[in-house]
Amino acid sequence: MNSLVSKFSTNNIPKQDVEDNEEYSDSMWASSAGYATNGLPTFRLPSLQQPTDFLRLHTDDHADPSCRIKIKHGTTTLAFRFKGGVIVAVDSRATAGSYIASGTVEKVIRINKFLLGTMAGGAADCQYWETYLGIMCRLHELRNRERISVAAASKYLSNLVYSYKGMGLSMGTMICGWDKTGPAIFYVDSDGTRLKGDLFSVGSGSTFAYGVLDQGYHWDLSDEDAQELGRRSIYAAGHRDAFSGNTINLFHIKQDGWDFIGNYDVSKMHYDGPGNIPGAPGTGYGYEVRTNPEACVVAD
Amino acid sequence: MDGKTAPQMRHFNPYSDNGGTILAIAGQDFAVIAGDTRQTVGYEIQTRYAPKVFRLNDKAVLAVNGFAADGNMFVKKVKQKLEMYRHAHAKDMPLRAIARLIQTMLYAQRFFPYYVYNILGGIEEDGSGAVYSFDPVGSYERESCRAAGAAQSLVQPFLDNQIYFKNQQPIPGGPPHPVHLPLSRVIALVTDSFTSATERHIEVGDELEMFIVLSRSHPQQSLDPRLNATEVSTTASGEKVFVIRRPLKRD
Amino acid sequence: MFLTRSEYDRGVNTFSPEGRLFQVEYAIEAIKLGSTAVGVKTYEGVVLGVEKRVQSPLLESSSIEKIMEIDRHLGCAMSGLTADARTIVDHARTTSQNHEFTYNENIKVESVTQAVCDLALRFGESVHDEDAMMSRPFGVALLIAGIDENGPQLFHTDPSGTFMRYEAKAIGSGSEAAQAELQDRWKKDMSLNDAQVLAVRILKQVMEEKLDQHNVQLAQVTKAGGFEILNEAALQEVIQRM
Repeated sequence: MNSLVSKFSTNNIPKQDVEDNEEYSDSMWASSAGYATNGLPTFRLPSLQQPTDFLRLHTDDHADPSCRIKIKHGTTTLAFRFKGGVIVAVDSRATAGSYIASGTVEKVIRINKFLLGTMAGGAADCQYWETYLGIMCRLHELRNRERISVAAASKYLSNLVYSYKGMGLSMGTMICGWDKTGPAIFYVDSDGTRLKGDLFSVGSGSTFAYGVLDQGYHWDLSDEDAQELGRRSIYAAGHRDAFSGNTINLFHIKQDGWDFIGNYDVSKMHYDGPGNIPGAPGTGYGYEVRTNPEACVVAD
Repeated sequence: MDGKTAPQMRHFNPYSDNGGTILAIAGQDFAVIAGDTRQTVGYEIQTRYAPKVFRLNDKAVLAVNGFAADGNMFVKKVKQKLEMYRHAHAKDMPLRAIARLIQTMLYAQRFFPYYVYNILGGIEEDGSGAVYSFDPVGSYERESCRAAGAAQSLVQPFLDNQIYFKNQQPIPGGPPHPVHLPLSRVIALVTDSFTSATERHIEVGDELEMFIVLSRSHPQQSLDPRLNATEVSTTASGEKVFVIRRPLKRD
Repeated sequence: MFLTRSEYDRGVNTFSPEGRLFQVEYAIEAIKLGSTAVGVKTYEGVVLGVEKRVQSPLLESSSIEKIMEIDRHLGCAMSGLTADARTIVDHARTTSQNHEFTYNENIKVESVTQAVCDLALRFGESVHDEDAMMSRPFGVALLIAGIDENGPQLFHTDPSGTFMRYEAKAIGSGSEAAQAELQDRWKKDMSLNDAQVLAVRILKQVMEEKLDQHNVQLAQVTKAGGFEILNEAALQEVIQRM
């Protein structure tokens, strides 16, 4: 009945097939333009003893900065749960080696109106699998006549990436949403880890973000203060981590779905701050502190 | 135990870097997609005319950079899928659909990647100009401009400054920076990007091939005759596609 | 009707000498035993209506499901062996979601109909190495309603895998009378409200039981609201308007 069950019940690591890599299916071609209709493509592997070594040789720019294929990396993402819902905040920088490949990356993936996923690690891995998760959640909704829980959605993703374990996927993501149980966050990564929690930060700048986040976090935070904490934490990471920066994207998940709060330039945050927003200090996060200590506003 | 009996492969390198640079800029109701035509391997120039920019249909043009063999195969497969889609759904594939298709096609090779950097440019269904850029395994985003390839790090900062007006202050009391640049300005920027990249990068040069896609809502439906453009669109009622070829230095 | 009945109606993949596939024809007959379903297209959207046969006062009528959502812009009504429709609808839903995944756009109504019909012919022996999914043809007909860039559309599919587009169509046991009525009453400039009333009125004429909000179901697909099944209050309102 439910094809998902069979899909996830076994470790379906794709079989090696080099000659037959086309996924055309004769009997269904008319409506699906030749695509096999099970959704997932058959992944092609190099015909080698160790396909994973091959991938690492050519794509791992940490081990070998001169490797050819540079997959986009580097990030700071965070999410936390509080009485007013979930705050999700991310930066927007993508690096390929030391080159800033993009400063406008959308690292929050909108799975549906109630679910957000964050992107850290391989940009393509996160984008692709979280989009795939989106259609799976929609199918769950159609089949069961109710929205999927955050726990179930994150488990789909976790089982999915676990089936490719050791193949070289790289993703650290937070699946955030609001379901029958209220606000929820699950951390899922490509090693197969899946953790439920109140507060996570993922990526190269996560230590910097945690520093700010942990000292300002409280369950009873007001909506404005919570948003400010998210903004301030990503700013801290953007300021100190070379692989993070450019702009901050801020989201707030409430009972009736997520809201996009805003996009903030990290440099502007340093000198001017987010402007006259409730919860914000009214001055820059960094510049004022360094040049005019009296003007410094200490969060209590 | 006996290592001599079984053949052992130490190194498998099916990739090479064929140099060159590609570039795309989206305007309000047009898109310009360009690339040079030099193909190199190491310090050797293999050919002076190897196209890297391809018309997919009357509203989409794809530029492919990296390993030429992978790139050509990839473009061939994209064109096949576009044709299949046309038969199955009785319409040309819209631009954002092509963008997503390219993601799924690149990602299908996640464990044996195409060594290609793609930039897709064209006109969306709402008539706006659009550029999508991809990494080799399919992560993508819509942007206003993007350079990729050998001279990426030379061209992109120039574009950031001239298109996004990064680190430029508008004149106090004067007009704000424009959100969209006119076509003539964009063509000039693209030409300058390539002549300058040719000056400073050994893998760039020979010829510039520039595709221009005009939305039906663009006020002019033809180009300035001085540009010496050739129309390559297939229907009279749809979007217009032109190609302009310019010499670049050949040394 | 079946004067030429012969040995040739035993296998699903054998033509009779007159060139007929009896099992497929019998499957189409099965639909004429099913409850009536009507679909009416207007410029605003498409209305689907079905009769629910509440055979026993102890039966919970809300558990009878004869109109199903395929996607936000697509829905369908069924008649015949409705258990077969569950397989078909799940296939349609998967196809629609896969299209969304691969092309980042809504699938066209005709394409999803085509997908359903591709499935209809997957009985009998297998093609290449692909599994033959079923041993017999489906015993169900669908009215697929949806909206895409070509506007509101209504398609009819049957067990032979044939599909056709209609302005208004009735299927099931009362279909002959209902179709004749649709032919008389359907107008090109009909509003969605008119179509709702027309659908209920026709169901009322062909149903054996007295029509009320418990034994009919109405759904619509509109540009703004997408697919929606009318709740009891809305249904009662339509019945009163009639």
